[in-house]
Amino acid sequence: MTILVRRSNLVIPATQSRMVRWAWNLGADAIILDLQDGMPPSELETARDSLKPAVSMVAKGGAEVFVRVNAHSVYADAAAAMCADLTGIVVPGPESAADIAEADSILNELERHAGVARGSAEIFPSIETAAGVWRIREIITASPRIRQVIIDEAELAASLGIVQGSDPDPFVYARGRLCIEATAAGVQPIAVADPTGLGIANLGHDDLVQTATDARNLGFKGMVCSHPAWVNPVNEAHTPAESLVDYYTQVREVFAQALAAGTAAAPFAGRMIDVPVDEWAKDVLAMSAACAARDAEKQAASEMARVWQDTFGLA
Amino acid sequence: MPANDKIRRSWLLVPVSQPDRITAAPNSSADVVILDLVEFVAESDKPAAREMVADSLASVQAGGAEVFVQIEPDLMLADLRAAVWPGLNGIVVSRAETAQQIAEIDTVISSLESERGLLPGSVEIVASLETAPGNHAGFEIATASPRVWGLTLGRADLIMDLRPEPSGEIHLMQYLMQRLVTIAAAAGKTPLGAWWRHPDRGLLATPDNTRAAAQRGRAIGFKGSFCVLDNQVGPLNQGFTPSESEVAAARSIQQIYADATESGTLAAVTHEDRFLTADIVRQYTNVLDLADACATRDMFKAAAVEGRPVPVP
Amino acid sequence: MPDHPRRLKRSGLTMPVVTERFINNAWHRGCDFINMDLEDSVPPNLKDVARNLIKESIPVVNKGGADAVCRINHDLMEADLNAVVWPGLMMVNYPKAEHAHEIRRMDEIITRLEAERGIRPGTIEIGANIETEVGVTNAYDIVSASPRIREFGGASGYDMSRDLGVEMFVQFDQFVYGKGEVELTARALGVTPHATPFTPNLTGSVSDPDRAFAEADAARRCGFRIGGGLHPNVVEPQNRGFTPTDDEVADAHWVIQQYRQLSHTGDTWLQTQDASGQPRVVDRYEAARAEELLQWRAACEERDREKNEAIARVRAAEASA
Repeated sequence: MTILVRRSNLVIPATQSRMVRWAWNLGADAIILDLQDGMPPSELETARDSLKPAVSMVAKGGAEVFVRVNAHSVYADAAAAMCADLTGIVVPGPESAADIAEADSILNELERHAGVARGSAEIFPSIETAAGVWRIREIITASPRIRQVIIDEAELAASLGIVQGSDPDPFVYARGRLCIEATAAGVQPIAVADPTGLGIANLGHDDLVQTATDARNLGFKGMVCSHPAWVNPVNEAHTPAESLVDYYTQVREVFAQALAAGTAAAPFAGRMIDVPVDEWAKDVLAMSAACAARDAEKQAASEMARVWQDTFGLA
Repeated sequence: MPANDKIRRSWLLVPVSQPDRITAAPNSSADVVILDLVEFVAESDKPAAREMVADSLASVQAGGAEVFVQIEPDLMLADLRAAVWPGLNGIVVSRAETAQQIAEIDTVISSLESERGLLPGSVEIVASLETAPGNHAGFEIATASPRVWGLTLGRADLIMDLRPEPSGEIHLMQYLMQRLVTIAAAAGKTPLGAWWRHPDRGLLATPDNTRAAAQRGRAIGFKGSFCVLDNQVGPLNQGFTPSESEVAAARSIQQIYADATESGTLAAVTHEDRFLTADIVRQYTNVLDLADACATRDMFKAAAVEGRPVPVP
Repeated sequence: MPDHPRRLKRSGLTMPVVTERFINNAWHRGCDFINMDLEDSVPPNLKDVARNLIKESIPVVNKGGADAVCRINHDLMEADLNAVVWPGLMMVNYPKAEHAHEIRRMDEIITRLEAERGIRPGTIEIGANIETEVGVTNAYDIVSASPRIREFGGASGYDMSRDLGVEMFVQFDQFVYGKGEVELTARALGVTPHATPFTPNLTGSVSDPDRAFAEADAARRCGFRIGGGLHPNVVEPQNRGFTPTDDEVADAHWVIQQYRQLSHTGDTWLQTQDASGQPRVVDRYEAARAEELLQWRAACEERDREKNEAIARVRAAEASA
């Protein structure tokens, strides 16, 4: 099974042309162009007009690109985004399978019009209400287009009449439910990189890595980053560390030797290496290889983009 | 967005069988008085207690409180006949376990409403999910009748025998509380409860611990809580009302956002290195709305205590 | 009287059935149960050999009064069951349970084997271990699938961590949701929850007796009764930790006596001070808990006597032989 490496999902407001031009260079695995709620109609119209070039622009560094559509204008927003460089759309606030089915049929039609292979655009549901949390299973299994899912904790907090905070943490149940249900359904659970809504003003690199590591240790496979400063720490936290890779490489060697010698358990570094440990080692090494491949892909794309820029002065 | 039309922060459980507690109830400043026929009335006193409900309904409302009666499913018919009289706001169903129970209770309430001249559909239900089957069936219970207004865990800690962990948290309660908040909000109902810790056993806690439990409860989505002692009422009212500093912070964030959106695009409003998006600002607007609604409720109760005529909120 | 008295499971050792030295020495450790493993601790090339050792190993591990348990392989369920369901076996542990149909299939096979092999119907328990996300999402259906499931727990530990892709031994409780789902299921369906309060284990130690006692003690105080481990060092601490103390017994008698005084007053609770001067509430919930504690303590004492007598009998027979 191929591993979907989508550690950092960076949100860029679609109307911010300076940020749109700059985002490809930040190392994000995915970029979400946000058509924000509450934009005045004229601003939204302008944003839609420049959406396809923006999608291609932010994809230059090898990032996959999503567009976050508005709940009340899914068709128009998705139509404005649909192009070969688009990975998928973020659908805000689904509460039932029917909500996903609607987005699914819209994408079918748009793909036909655009000559894009049917089913190629992903749906990335962004759960915003308790009803969505409760009916998570029917939502994420409603379309094969769904490969990852998130709970938008700021929206969920607003819908529950609470203010996001960490003491006490209001979303232990919701996050746990997301991780268990999504993983069971073969869909990747994605976390919010700013879980307490406190911003990053007072956090250093290590704090950011620790926050991202804690999320990974709940079962999340990546994070939506509302600020570019999250991208590198999130990538780091969701990539197996070199020391871990070394350790498990040795574990696999020790276990292979043990098998060759006719036993399925061998001591190594104070621990008994058996089948389950070897299985764990395989997982870590596979994840490490997948991350390395993804990073190489992004690096190649970025280098190409820079060559074009230097040679032809293209921004 | 949560509705604030009914501010019900403190729910004081008063045994109907104890006249002195009934007399004291109007001075408690409770948003809701629950006349209890279940937990705090000895089995042998229950028939006599039922006789006292009708007269107590009016007297406990003298302080501006609403009044609910707590019944149990096994004695549903006798309890409801004793409780459903004009003036009753609702019924607390203790140990609610199935949607079927709620449907049956709904039917009995409907016939008593028409028989006794209450507005049809006016009597609300709070389902108390105090057992494991009740919690398992929580969403079905919440959606079993349009009368269901709220859900609570009631005395689940005692009835399910959930005990303190070494951390002081009561085993399984974090999971059950957040599950209940999710179910209630998903069904469009109000979650009630407070985040009690050891030694706040069975709704018995000091005033300070009660206030802290209410604040923690409000932080995860609860809107009010049951209590059993008069001196817990004030702390619950306080804990479920936004504090002055919360209100001030909310006003300032709202102002920053309003200024920025007036002057240009709303895409990149920042406050303390954080993008202020519409959803975040909405969290703070909710705080201000709740503070206003609480103030209105408190004015109404104050007027009632002083015997001034007040409009029904 | 229930048909099948609840067996105590305060302490137990899990060991590969292929390691003869472990199997032969386990009987005198004082465990409530001994879990003979066919799964993770047995290499793939020894699976056939291993399952055929169970029948002869059951009486060996039973010698000291311990109940015999066997953990089978998820993917070899039918072959394993055929080899292990013999008189003297108390329970089959089924790892990585994910679907109700798996449990229904196990129940059918065990029912047939009980009939064929002269085991009283319904004797053999199924332990359905939840070790994957899919298992958590199907927990209610799984427990509903067979009355042979009499305890239920899981949703944490090595396999769950691997399936979810998380590190073990972090500072916080990673499994609140999954454990909550599983425990609520157990309680809702009336089977014994197999759970513990969360305590961070940053070292992963499985042989520290002090840690084992502290965990068992905390679990007992929280109302739980099921233990088990991998190292002989933890057996005695678990037996001790899961057994109510003398102080608790005295306190239970005091609670029951206080509660009796309530019966004439019309009050349903009273606030008082206990023997140590702590403020206490006494009501029907405290009284019920006290009654249960006394019953549990009596059951623990009876079980310990049973095991001690069995061990003494074997030793006497060995000495005279």
